[in-house]
Amino acid sequence: MDSFINRRWYSGMLTQEDWWSVWMGLAFFFLGLLSVTGVDLVGWVAYPSKWGGTAPLAKGLNPLGKAYQGLGPTGSLVVTYIIFTIATCIGAASMKWDVKKFFAGWTIIFTITYIVWLLGHHVFLAANITNRAKYGLSYSLSLGGGGSYILALLVGLIIGNFFKKFAGFLSEAAKPEWFIKTAIVFLGVKVGYMAMKAADFVFELAITGAAATIVAYLIFWPGTYLLARKFFKLPRKTSAVLSSGISICGVSAAVATGGAVRAKPLIPVMVSTLIVVYAVIELVILPPIFTATLIDEPIVAGATMGMAVKTDGADAAAGAVMDELMRNRKENLDGTKWEEGWITTSAIMTKIWIDMFIGLWAFVLALVWVYKIDRRPGERVPTSEVWHRFPKFVLGYFFTWFVYLGILFLAPDLTDSAKVGAVPVEKGMRKLFFMLTFLSMGIITDFKKLAEAKFGKMVFVYFVALFLFIIPVAFIVGYIFHHGMTVPIVTP
Amino acid sequence: MIEVIVTHDGKNWVAKNEFMSVAAQTIEILDTDVRKLVKQKVDCKAGENIRVFMLFDNSTIPQWMRQYAQHYFNRILEVDA
Repeated sequence: MDSFINRRWYSGMLTQEDWWSVWMGLAFFFLGLLSVTGVDLVGWVAYPSKWGGTAPLAKGLNPLGKAYQGLGPTGSLVVTYIIFTIATCIGAASMKWDVKKFFAGWTIIFTITYIVWLLGHHVFLAANITNRAKYGLSYSLSLGGGGSYILALLVGLIIGNFFKKFAGFLSEAAKPEWFIKTAIVFLGVKVGYMAMKAADFVFELAITGAAATIVAYLIFWPGTYLLARKFFKLPRKTSAVLSSGISICGVSAAVATGGAVRAKPLIPVMVSTLIVVYAVIELVILPPIFTATLIDEPIVAGATMGMAVKTDGADAAAGAVMDELMRNRKENLDGTKWEEGWITTSAIMTKIWIDMFIGLWAFVLALVWVYKIDRRPGERVPTSEVWHRFPKFVLGYFFTWFVYLGILFLAPDLTDSAKVGAVPVEKGMRKLFFMLTFLSMGIITDFKKLAEAKFGKMVFVYFVALFLFIIPVAFIVGYIFHHGMTVPIVTP
Repeated sequence: MIEVIVTHDGKNWVAKNEFMSVAAQTIEILDTDVRKLVKQKVDCKAGENIRVFMLFDNSTIPQWMRQYAQHYFNRILEVDA
C-alpha cells in the first residue's frame, strides 16, 4: 500500500496519526481563534464540574462558552459528540481504518469517557480540604480532576484485561497516541497564553528541558545498552532496540532504532509490546509516589516524569494526574493554589524535546551502525530519515503556542477576545482528549503479555534498567536542571 | 535512481519492484541479490554508479504500533555497474 511508504517529505500527511493530530488540533484551534472576530465557535464543548453533596448532578456538566449556556448539559454533550465524531471519522477514513468499526468503537469510548469524567468529578473524589465543607463533606479523597483520569485508566484496564473480546472490538478506535498528540496541540494554546503571566518561566522550562534531554540521552542509552549486552548477554541489535525503547522514548525510539540498525521488524514489535505495558505501570505508580515525595519540587517531578515514562500518551497522562494530585496536596498542606497545567507542561516539554531528538539520534545511530559497526560497502543513509522520524505533532504544538504568544505580545488588545476561544480548546477539548487517552491506553494494555515466554530476559532487562537506573538518574538530571523552579500561583 | 519496496514477512526481507522480487533471510544476502539483478536488468555504462532507493513499506509494522512510529527505514544501495 503506497500510503505507508515514506517516499517524499510530504508522504503520510493524510495517512499518519502524527499528521492527523496536527490537522485535528489545528482545525479546532483555528475555530477557537475566530473568537477574535467576536464569534465563539468552540464554546459548545461539554465540560464537567464538581457535583454531589450540596451541588446537584444537573450542574455537573455544562458547555464551557457563555454563548452556549442555552444548550444545557444534554445539548452540549450531543453537539460535542456529533462534531468530534465527524472530525475523527474523517481522520479514520483518511488513515484507511475500518470506519464502521471505528465509529462503533468511538461511540462507545466517547460515552464511557463522559460517564467516567462525570463520576470522577463527584465531590467525594474531587473536593479537597479547602472546598469540601462547601459541599457538606467532612472528608474527601482530594484527587481533583485526577480522579477522573485514574478512573478512566482503571475502567480501560478492566476492559483490556478482563473483557478481551470487547477490547478487541474497541481497538480500532482506542488510539491513545492520536488522542494525546491532539491534546498536546491544544496544550500549545495554554502554554501560549500562560506565557503572558510567566514568560520567563516558560522560556526557562523550555531551555532546561532541552538540556536535561541531551544529558539524559548521553547517560541513559550507553548505560542501558551495556546492561543489556554485558550483563544480560542480549544480541547487539536487540540490545540497541531495547536500550532506545527503555532509555529514550518508548515505541517511537525502538522502531527508529530498529530501522537504523536494520533489525528484523519483529524485534521492535516485541520491545514495543513491553514498552506499552511498562508505561502504564509507571503511569499508575509514579504520580502518587512523586506527589508524596517531591511536593516541594513539582517541576523536578514533572521533568523526571518526562524522562522516565516512555510513551507520549502515558507521560502526558502521568503528568496530568500528578498535576492534579500535587495541586490538591499543596492546597491541603498550606492553602497555596498552584496554577493548573504547569506540572503537566514540564512533563510534556521534556518529552517533546526527547521526541524531537529521536530522529536525529536514530540518524546518528544509523550512520554509526552502517559506516562503522556493521559496515557494508555501497550502503548510504539518506538525510531524509531525520524528517521522516520527526514527530509532526510537535509542529502543531509550537504553532498554537507561538500564535497565542504572538497575540499576547503583538496584539494585546485582542487578548480578552482570544481567550474566549482559547479556553474551550485548551481546557475543555484538551482534557477531553486526555480522558480519551487514559481510557484507550487501558483498553490496549494487556498485563498478561509480560508473562509470555517469547519475551524471556527482555522483561527483566526492562525492569532493572527502568526502575534501578533510568528513574533514579532521571531524578538526578531533573533536579540538576529544574531544582528550585516553582509553579506560578493562581492570582485572585 | 531505481526504487525498490522492502517488506519483512516474519522470516525474510523481501525487495520488489517492476522487474525484481527477491527474498532473503538477512539484509546482506538481500543486498547481494538486488545488486545482481540490477546489473542484469538495468542498462548502464561500465563504471556507472546506480543508486537503488530501498523504501520500507510501513504497513509491515502492526497497525497498533503505527500510531507511535510511522517510519521504519529507507536506505540507498549503490551498485557499481
